[in-house]
Amino acid sequence: MNAVFAGLAGVGRYGLWVRDFCRALAAHGPPQGQTLAEAFRIGIKSLPILLIIAAFVGTNLALQGYNAFKPLGGQRLVGMFVSLAGVRELAPIIAAAMISAKAGTEMASQIGVMKIREQVDALEVMAVNPLAYLVAPRLIGIMLVLPALTIIAIFVMLSSAYLVSVHQLGLAGHEFIQFASESIEPIDFVYGAFKAMFFGLIICTISCYFGFNCGKGPAGVGQATNRAVVTSSVVCIALNYFLSEMLYGGAL
Amino acid sequence: MLAKLATIGRFGLFAGGIARRAAQRPVFYREVVAQLWTTSIRCVLPVVAVTFPFGMVMALQGLEIFRIFGAERMLSSLISIATLRELSPVLASVLVAAQGGSSCAASLGAMRIKEELDATEVMAIDSIKYHVVPRVIAMTIACPLLNIAGSIAGVGGGYFTAVYLKGESGGIFLAELWAFMGPMDVYGGIIKTTLFGLTIGLISCYHGFRATGGAAGVGKAVNDTVVHGIVAFITLNYFLTSALFGAVAP
Repeated sequence: MNAVFAGLAGVGRYGLWVRDFCRALAAHGPPQGQTLAEAFRIGIKSLPILLIIAAFVGTNLALQGYNAFKPLGGQRLVGMFVSLAGVRELAPIIAAAMISAKAGTEMASQIGVMKIREQVDALEVMAVNPLAYLVAPRLIGIMLVLPALTIIAIFVMLSSAYLVSVHQLGLAGHEFIQFASESIEPIDFVYGAFKAMFFGLIICTISCYFGFNCGKGPAGVGQATNRAVVTSSVVCIALNYFLSEMLYGGAL
Repeated sequence: MLAKLATIGRFGLFAGGIARRAAQRPVFYREVVAQLWTTSIRCVLPVVAVTFPFGMVMALQGLEIFRIFGAERMLSSLISIATLRELSPVLASVLVAAQGGSSCAASLGAMRIKEELDATEVMAIDSIKYHVVPRVIAMTIACPLLNIAGSIAGVGGGYFTAVYLKGESGGIFLAELWAFMGPMDVYGGIIKTTLFGLTIGLISCYHGFRATGGAAGVGKAVNDTVVHGIVAFITLNYFLTSALFGAVAP
């Protein structure tokens, strides 16, 4: 029971922190010049691992799609399965999970270290609002970059799935491309990018929240980093259901 | 490039040292059980909280497609195969890396920074044997257990959406659940997650054990653990899937 109350209190504190952040953003605006630097840093640092992960998720989608449709005699449906599952669900989720593992943990540990070294207090002493100075550029940066990373992940995923289906599974390449392109529409890419922007918002605010509320010493930083990645990935995947229901479930 | 090779070499030596010590007596069983308990308890809620919504999404998207062909009754067999073979092993291992692996790296790193590991060595206790080996063993056992929890939650999420939210028949869902399943689908996920757990445990202990440079070093160790752990087991996953489920052209 105590854990439930502690969880509720955490949600409440997070809400208050977000309110403070919105006020700081409204009052000060993001600092000039840092936003693009953050976007560049988040994007470039996360790109290599995102490419590796997306490539191997694509290969496994093709393998399992082939296995699942083999009993039905529908190996040709692999292209459709890969493009539907990859474009609509997996690419946004994989990009969000990798960004939260790479950039989210980095945000939490950087801000946590600043907090325990009292650099955040030093900022306040200099009359710089730490929320506007530290969080706002990261937030705008991640929301700019994550949709782009998602689109890149989609293409890498589809290419690796194509390579596996044609060269390992021996399917016909033109059939793969035909079924893949027939089953998705341009609007799916827009929806994927929209999901990604939303996930970026969640990841950045949760990671920075845990960084700002970091405990004492090295153990505190480690714990804050740990909580940041777990909470943000769980919240993203849980919210993904509601986003999918809204975008694809006929609610719109 | 050479620095990366050197890192891989150091990791190999570290893993070899762990394997040698794990084979020697005495094994600290009590420590293994304590680590297993904390890892499983900490990870089970995140794993279930991730696989349940993913099962729901699968049912949502799957129904859209199967309704085109009028094949709604195929839904549950697709969900159960996809969950047991891929989704639950991968998502459970991502969460084990994010929660179990990173807290393992954080605690070992904090011990290293506070010189507690050196203190253990001074007391003539092998720090790898006492602190690292139980964590690696616990992670190797916890990962398949969490995979089972994740599989149940994933299929449960699919059932919830299909039956309660979309009004499919619950009886057909349950009857078709095992239609295309073979024993390999169940064992395959468990074999995979055992290997994933071993990989994550070794990587997290390696980064935690070698943390340097104060609080920032612990943060970096945690960050590296999550990233390297996930990249390693997803790469491994492709080869394991090819080997276990025999997906090679005839």
